[in-house]
Order: sequence, then C-alpha cells, then structure tokens
Amino acid sequence: MVSKVVKVTNEQGLHMRPATVFSAAVTPFDSDVKILFNGNQFDGKSVMMLMAACIKKDSEIEIQCDGPDEEAALAKAVELVESGLGD
Amino acid sequence: MYKGIEASRGIGIGSICLIVEHDLTFESKQIEDKEAEKARFNSAIDKFKAETAEMAENIRKNIGPKEAEIMEGHLAMIADPTMAGEMTKMIEAGQCAEAAVTAVCDMFIGMFSKMEDDMMRQRASDISDIKISLLKILLGVEDIDISKVAPGTVLVAHDLTPSMTSQIVKENVVGIITEVGGKTSHSAILARALEIPAVLSVPNITEIVKDKDTAIVDGTEGDVYINPDGDVVSQYVIKREEFIRAQAELKNFLGKETKTADGKSVELFCNIGTPKDAKKAIECDGEGVGLFRSEFLFMDKPHLPTEDEQFEAYKEAVEIMGDKTVIIRTLDIGGDKEIPYMNLEKEENPFLGFRAVRYCLANPEIYKTQLRGILRASAYGKIKIMVPLVTVVDEIRSVKALVEECKKELKAEGVSFDENIQVGCMIETASASLIADLLAKEADFFSIGTNDLTQYTMSVDRGNANIAYLYSAFQPSVLRSIKNIIAAGNAAGIPVGMCGEAAADPLMIPLLISFGLDEYSVNPVLVLTARCIISKWSKAEADALAEKALSLSTEAEVVALLKASAK
Repeated sequence: MVSKVVKVTNEQGLHMRPATVFSAAVTPFDSDVKILFNGNQFDGKSVMMLMAACIKKDSEIEIQCDGPDEEAALAKAVELVESGLGD
Repeated sequence: MYKGIEASRGIGIGSICLIVEHDLTFESKQIEDKEAEKARFNSAIDKFKAETAEMAENIRKNIGPKEAEIMEGHLAMIADPTMAGEMTKMIEAGQCAEAAVTAVCDMFIGMFSKMEDDMMRQRASDISDIKISLLKILLGVEDIDISKVAPGTVLVAHDLTPSMTSQIVKENVVGIITEVGGKTSHSAILARALEIPAVLSVPNITEIVKDKDTAIVDGTEGDVYINPDGDVVSQYVIKREEFIRAQAELKNFLGKETKTADGKSVELFCNIGTPKDAKKAIECDGEGVGLFRSEFLFMDKPHLPTEDEQFEAYKEAVEIMGDKTVIIRTLDIGGDKEIPYMNLEKEENPFLGFRAVRYCLANPEIYKTQLRGILRASAYGKIKIMVPLVTVVDEIRSVKALVEECKKELKAEGVSFDENIQVGCMIETASASLIADLLAKEADFFSIGTNDLTQYTMSVDRGNANIAYLYSAFQPSVLRSIKNIIAAGNAAGIPVGMCGEAAADPLMIPLLISFGLDEYSVNPVLVLTARCIISKWSKAEADALAEKALSLSTEAEVVALLKASAK
C-alpha cells in the first residue's frame, strides 16, 4: 500500500465537478483508491462518497492506493488534486 | 393576487398547464426471482441514462453548456458504483427495485441535506430528482410531455425539475409558477437562461388553479394573477409590451460606447466586491471597475490577510479586466462594517468615529501591507488607489507619503509595479465637499460616494427608519454638494467619478451630465440601463433641467420635476 498527503486547492473544494473528474480518472486502475479525511475513509472511485466527505478548499487529505498498480494510481491521483482537478 | 419570489424577469400572460404530481407510492415486497428483478432494475437504469443524456443534449443545444451540467451531474451520480451498486446489493438481498432505489436515494438525500455547504445541499435535490425519475420508470408512470404544450402556456408545478425544464420550448411557454424554489434554484437559473418570466414559491398554487385557467406571471415583481378581470389583463398587456421594448432597446446598447445624445463620451464602470465579480462586470459590458471594495479580504478570514493574499486577489481582478481600469478602495472598516479580530472599540457614534482612512493612518503597518499588495498587482494592469472617508487635506498627503514609502521599498527589493499609479479621494463627507478645490490639488481623481455623502450632509443615520424620509440624494443640499465637487474636479483638470447608487439612477443621470461627471460606476446589472439613459440626454437639455432642479426648495419638488422630465 502507498499513500500521500495532499492539499485541495480548488476554490470550492471537492464538489460535484472535481469529484467527478477525480473518480473518473482513478476508476480505470485495479487498485483500491481511498481518501482519508477528518478521521473517515471514503471510496475514491465514488463521486457520491467524495462529495459526502465535504472536503473544502485548503483541506489536507491522504490518498491511499492498494493493489497491483498502486504506484501509478497514486501518482495520477496526486497529480490531479495538485493541478486543481480541472477547476 | 398571489405573491411569490421573483425569479426571472418579464411579464407572461397565458393559459395554465398544470403539471400534476404523480402518485409514486408502491408496495414493498420480497422478491423471489432476484435475477429477473435485477434485470428490471438494470433496464430502468439504462432507460434513465438514455433519457437524461437526451435531456442534457437538448439543454446544451437550446440553453447552453453550463446549464447542461445539471443533467450531466445526474448521469455521473447514477454511474457511481455506490449508487447503483448499493441498490443492486439490496435487490440481491430480496428487496424490490422500487424499495432499493428509495432507500439508497433517501440515505444520500439525508446526508447531503444536512451539510452546511449550499452547493452540497443542492445535491440533495438532484438526488431527489433522480429518485423520482427512476420510480416513474419502474412504476410505468408517463409524464405530461412539456415539449408538446400549446403556444401561450403558463406552466404551474409543485417544483420544476431540470428534467421538465429541459423539455420546455421557449416559443410556447410564456410563464412559470411553482410552489417551491428560490432565486438560485435550478428552475430559476434555467428560467432566466430561457428568458421566461417566473414566479417561484407561491404557496399552494397547484391547488388553487385548474388547467386552462388564465394566468398573469409578473416575474419582475413576483406577482401572480389567476383568472384576472379584463382591466388587469389590459394593464398587464401594456406592461408586457413596455418590458419587451425596454429589453430590446437595452440589448442595442451592448458593446456600444457610452455617449450622451450630443456625443460626449463618458466612462461607465462597475462596483464590485470580490475578484469573481470582475467577470460579471465584463459579462455585463462594464468598461472598468470604479469601485473594488477590498473589505471582503478582511471579513472572510479569522486574521488579517497577508500581503501575498491581497496581491493575489487584486491581481486576479486586474487580469480579468484586461486593459481596463480597476479602482481599488482601500480598507473601509468601522461604522457599520465590523471585523471581529481587529478588536475595534465600541464607539458612541461609529459613523463619526475611528474608521476607514482614519484607522488606516493610525495603523500604518496594516495599511502598508495593503498598499504594497495593490502596488505589486499594478504591474499586471491599470490600477488606481482610492482613499475612503477623506475629511482633511493632511489625510490624502499622508496616504501619498505612505505610497511613496512602499514604492521605495519595492524598488529596493526589485519588485515591479506601476510607477505612475494614481491616488484619488472618495468625496463622501461634508468637509471633503466643502474643500474639494483644496483636495483637487493633491488627488489624482475624485470619486463621489453618494450613500455616505447623503448621510453626512443630511446628518441622517442610513439605518434609522424614523428619519428615512430625509435620506435622499435629491435633497437640494446634497445636489449642491455634488455639483460643487464635480466643478472643483473639472476646474483642477482631474477626472470625477461617482460610485454610489445615484450614478445609475435614471432621475439623477441628467443632472450628472449637466454637472460634468466623467465616470459613472454602477452595479454590473445596471450597465446597459445607465448607458441607455445617458444616451438620451444632451448637455443642453440636461443643463436646462439641472438649472430648474437646483432652483427648487424641497426634495419632493425636485423629484417631481425629474420624474416628469424623465426619458
């Protein structure tokens, strides 16, 4: 399992659109992708769970990837969040 | 007459099509053949996806890509593994498809509706929309086909879902009335995009009306009439024509220069409160920003904003405005604008107290942080610095000295900025007005803040209802003050602007043309209205009217004259 802590930079946090971008990008990976935030775990492939996490701008989240392509999945996920998720 | 929330402007008169809420109750039952139930569920999901994709496409074509995002969001949600996945799990456990859809959707609705974030709460209504659509498919309930309603239809519904809105044919629907929803709801946004008059949140309207009743929808005022008598109808027919004519006329002013009837160009700027508002100023065809209130930077945070934070915000606004001017008003706190962490002492008379430039000059470190942020942003566009609440010449001199100090520091640090940045005064106190000629020697420009100028000239607390009758920019004393300020600026050869509400007032505009105002700064949505009014008056006509207005003794006489002469 690999993980990294990143800061969410989108103006409006992980709302509908960025959550959709994120889940669509990590879904093709075979590894499980989890977001740890505020002491809870959320499925990174689920738009609904990502939104339900209510992650605001400037929050720090931990991305955890576990599976055969975990390194590639984590690299992609981190890159996306750091680039502002297309916002 | 029934009252609701005015959600989309205009007048619609037509025949009602009542959209009845379907009964979507079902009997929850244990399923024997789980594979067959899963197949029924999956085909419902497929149908939902196909219908939603079609609606998204319709909205994109007929309204716009931004509005289509609502439906695309529904598609993303239903494609979510948690949504359909959880539903499938429940069916596998023996629940019927209807029960599975209801349970999973209700769980998410409960989750999202409890959130503090407005955007997230909106998601709850999206999921409720998805739930209703899925249940209708599963229960085989057919909706009225809104795309087939007759021309001249007023739609009445409990709520207008995005799926309904997407079927609206703009030519056939003349008005919308609902029982729920506010100005920022999906239905309101879509109604405005379609330019269909809409009144939302009219209590029990679906129980009051019948199909084919006649309705008047006044989306400007939020009024609804059902089966009105002939007088009311003819009155609203005239109102409708006036509205349509005015709208068409305003559109003619899009992209045009702002000129008086005799061809004198003036500047028409916008008042904004955040960098994002700059986009609105551009969309509304503003020619610059005449007042960028910087308080948001100080109010949104639990601490003083840093120089970098301020620089970024100013830079963002300036970059959005491109080569257009942005006038930033430095910190204007105190009075009615309190900032908790600054621990300002409670004062007996806050409006006459330690506020705005008075506070800033007493706290030069805080002020210099802001001035440095502004100066750094000035390397990215055309910025001017505006000082609020000036009462004596020393204040503008001190601010200019601080600006010079900041420039020296930045130069030593090798940071670039606009060497020739202008520093101007807001003229909003009686004192500043009386010494406008002296201030004009020091300031690079003036901007008249009519809200405070009226309050200070009339000695009237803006918030006190008992004396509200005195609070008017049309009081002879306030008009004389405005005239003197503009004359002093003109005589000294510096531009004079106005950033109070009066700058967009159709009654005030001819007087301002006569006095020689150079720059009007208005709420972005009023840009075209102001441009239209300015274009109707020549200097000679405005002078004749101003001479008469200034000879009158009371505010009531002035207003009556201006109303009678309005174009």
